[in-house]
Amino acid sequence: MAGGQDMFDAIVMADERFHGEGYQEGYEEGNSLGIIEGRQYGTLHGAKIGSEIGCYQGFAFAWRCLLHTCTTEKDSKKTKALESLIEMIQKFPYDDPTYDKLHEDLDKIRGKFKQMRKPTGTAWSRGTGSRARTRLPRPPVTAVSCCLL
Amino acid sequence: MSWVQRAPLVRGPGEEGDVFDEEADESLLVQREWRSHMQRRVKEGYRDGIDAGKAVTLQQGFNQGYKEGAEIIINYGQLRGTLSALLSWCHLHDNGSTLISKINNLLDAVGQCEEYVLKHLKSITSQPHVVDLLDSIQDMDLCHVAPTEKKMDEAKDERLCENNAELHKNCSKSLSEADCSSLECCRLQEHAHSENPSLAWILEQTASLVKQLGISLDVLQHLKQL
Repeated sequence: MAGGQDMFDAIVMADERFHGEGYQEGYEEGNSLGIIEGRQYGTLHGAKIGSEIGCYQGFAFAWRCLLHTCTTEKDSKKTKALESLIEMIQKFPYDDPTYDKLHEDLDKIRGKFKQMRKPTGTAWSRGTGSRARTRLPRPPVTAVSCCLL
Repeated sequence: MSWVQRAPLVRGPGEEGDVFDEEADESLLVQREWRSHMQRRVKEGYRDGIDAGKAVTLQQGFNQGYKEGAEIIINYGQLRGTLSALLSWCHLHDNGSTLISKINNLLDAVGQCEEYVLKHLKSITSQPHVVDLLDSIQDMDLCHVAPTEKKMDEAKDERLCENNAELHKNCSKSLSEADCSSLECCRLQEHAHSENPSLAWILEQTASLVKQLGISLDVLQHLKQL
């Protein structure tokens, strides 16, 4: 009877063994495929965030420099708002998809940017005496959920 | 796939493939069934393995790609933002439509560059898959390993170089239309993203614009890394 038992064990083990061998090979293949697919998705999402943040950053730095050429005391409030925006942008880890406050901070930056861009009173339109209409940068792409798993 | 070789093939004394032959040894049929069952198990295992393997590295790959994409494209975003600031400045100071339309053209050019770079970034990350097919080709035993590997790499390099040369030619011809250079693709591969003629042209035009507006070039200070 012991011999019979061994025979059945051998059959079940062979079944698992073949499955296991296929699994090993598939697992290695899956590892490579996962990296490749993941990178493709990641590149797309990272680029969207980089593009948007870069745009805010570029605008803010340039605008700060431009304001320096013609600021008065009245503009100090605007300058402070701009500095605050720049600080928020600098602190934002734009290349880290695992940052837990990614969407929260991005929304804050967007809000601050929109606020800053609103022309108010004569301080912004100095030199023309009229309300200036400005072209907004290309619309920011909405950030999507960055973690797939 | 190498697992095909693993399922044992035992030939019986009877005619091969003649399952309706009542005189054939029944054990032959049993062996065939066993082999087919084991092959199925190997395939199932392979599929399960792929799913499990993918799940483990998908997030890792995503994080890598995310960082690369963000680091490369942020530069284009900064350039766009800077040009937008200059545009706003022009509107505020009523600088005339020539300069404004020039800035708009440059903004479009940067946008095109950005799209082009992104497209090539994506195609670069998918290329390793071609090399992964080597295993399958190897197992099919169609050709020798070493020469094939070498040929595939050479073919890939040759194709890339041809594409690059072609696109670079097009770019040099149509700089004013702000096409993006294929050199960008090459540079990305080598992890260096300076010296893109088209990007350089845009920066040059932006600098000249700033001078025309009578603004200090400090306004472009933050773009130095480009």
